Amino acid sequence: MANHKKSDENLKGTLYATFGLGIFIIIVWALCFNLFIDRF
Amino acid sequence: MTAVITKDKKVTHNNKGNSKVISSTKVDRKDAKLALAHIMVAFIALFVGGLCGLLQVLVRSGQFKLPFGIGYYQVLTVHGVLLGLILTTYFILGFQTAAVSRTAGALSNKQRKTGWVGFWIMTIGMLAAATMVLLNEASVLYTFYAPLQAHWIYYLGLTLVVVGSWIVGLAQSLRYIQWRKENKGQTSPLLSFMVVVNNLMWFVATLGVAAEVLFQLLPWSLGFIERIDVLLTRTLFWYFGHALVYFWLLPAYMVWYAIVPKIVGGKIFSDALARLSFMLFLLFSIPVGVHHQLTEPGIDGFWKFVQVVLTFFVVIPSLLTAFSMFATFELRGRELGAKGVFGWFKNLPWNDVRFLLPFIGMVAFIPGGAGGLVNASYQMNQLIHNTIWVTGHFHLTVATTVVLTFFGTAYWLIPHLTGRKLTKKMNNLGIVSGILWSVGMVIMSGAMHIAGLFGAPRRSEYSTYGGSEQATEWISYQVAQAVGGTILFIAILFIIGIVVNLLWFAPKGEEEFPIAEVAEGAEKTPALLENFKVWGVILVALILIAYTIPLIDIVQNSPLGSKGYKFW
Ligand code: HEM
Ligand SMILES: [Cu+2]
Repeated sequence: MANHKKSDENLKGTLYATFGLGIFIIIVWALCFNLFIDRF
Repeated sequence: MTAVITKDKKVTHNNKGNSKVISSTKVDRKDAKLALAHIMVAFIALFVGGLCGLLQVLVRSGQFKLPFGIGYYQVLTVHGVLLGLILTTYFILGFQTAAVSRTAGALSNKQRKTGWVGFWIMTIGMLAAATMVLLNEASVLYTFYAPLQAHWIYYLGLTLVVVGSWIVGLAQSLRYIQWRKENKGQTSPLLSFMVVVNNLMWFVATLGVAAEVLFQLLPWSLGFIERIDVLLTRTLFWYFGHALVYFWLLPAYMVWYAIVPKIVGGKIFSDALARLSFMLFLLFSIPVGVHHQLTEPGIDGFWKFVQVVLTFFVVIPSLLTAFSMFATFELRGRELGAKGVFGWFKNLPWNDVRFLLPFIGMVAFIPGGAGGLVNASYQMNQLIHNTIWVTGHFHLTVATTVVLTFFGTAYWLIPHLTGRKLTKKMNNLGIVSGILWSVGMVIMSGAMHIAGLFGAPRRSEYSTYGGSEQATEWISYQVAQAVGGTILFIAILFIIGIVVNLLWFAPKGEEEFPIAEVAEGAEKTPALLENFKVWGVILVALILIAYTIPLIDIVQNSPLGSKGYKFW
């Protein structure tokens, strides 16, 4: 039980995908912020 | 197969004579009727509301005029009410009834009767409100902002919809409470727990709109009072209005957390994480409504800022959810032998409509969520406020993420409830409906987002604004919206066709109600996560912090108030 970690328990893709999501959100926000600064 | 059937038959009788199914894999037959009644109303609303959506995009393209003196705002009111309020609430309550019956056990006769009483109260209210809209007495949109004044029956009707929904929700919650009593010290079934969290949030949130209607709009529209405080009505509305969007979203999350893992052949990544994220959604859905009023005078900037900060906390449970979904998919893909960092992606069941539609919903929530953070950013809100960008935003969130998850669910839930089967052919038509929806929505919502950034207003029919140069920039995007909207309407025709098949024509058989198990290595769920007292106290405290002083300010500095107007 203590050593239930199998070799297929690899969550690298999950980590990168979640980071990618965060980065996408920041990019969209930054683009809109840029538009906002230009206009107001 | 035989194992499943014998399991279904494990029925015991308690002393009241109600039969109680233990560890059932099916929704009780009588509960199924209650759930189906709700789901049928939802799909009727989809058809009529979708037709209105089609009319709107056609009118806005400038190529079409409404016949028979029908007003644009009359159509838009029908669209908003039927799709935003009726389709969602009815589907949610139907699904939740089935989910509780499946995971906590069949409702008692009393609980089921309560559910039916709620259903009929909602339905009478809906018909009353619809009548007033059709008579052109209530073209005030689904947000019914004062000082626009509708016929009192419209307000009363919508109130009955809310009261009825409380009663249906109560029936579901009573079944959960019964389960907890009968299984002291055990972790409750995940889906039933989530249903109760959603119902609790709905109840606390709808108190705001109930107060608005009962103490302001109803007496005002009946002529008992002449004037009302517009800012107060709007503040009470949005106290409810933001939570409304989470009331739509949480049932989709129930499907993602507790059902989709089973469909892909995997496990729930973590039961504790799922419950924690639901409790966080409960906390951060209500004390944030002012983020819809950021351009409104009369609310102090400091309190707007406080609610903006609370709004941003919702990032935490949202990313927890995303992480959890990715993890479920990756673990399953690797189990099937996927290699490389993203190789597991290929191993998902892409030709299973029960998976594909919720998955498209998840993808749509990425731009939907990102757009939402732009909307909620205090100063940047000016960029998009009241533009068609906002409409583009919520057609991604509610009209794609939420409804595609619901459609993907309906495709197995309806045959499960009617004792029929989702055939290969219907599965494939379902996939077509999802792809059409995605294509139509990318075009329509994309054009709405861009036109919105160019300043095109929402809630507006076609106009050249006196030949304004800026307004001519918008027209090609409005034509694009008409193209996308037409594709969406075709998708709706497919969906209705499939639903009709599943209700009455599909071959008899057994369709599974998938419920996933928790992954083996996952930690045991801490009891704290089911302690509603603790989370309830935090919730009330947050609401009091966010709203007490702004409400006192609004009431103390209240101007004369406004009479009612009817501009249509
Ligand atoms: C055929 C599919 C659809 C089309 C073509 C469509 C089109 C539109 C358009 C053009 C508007 C904005 C009109 C304006 O602001 O002047 C709108 C508003 C709206 N739509 Fe849709 N829509 C569709 C499906 C849906 C669905 C499935 C939902 C919800 C689940 C939904 C919910 C709403 C809501 C709540 C509004 C706001 C109404 C208001 O501003 O009062 N729509 N829709
Ligand atoms: Cu909101």
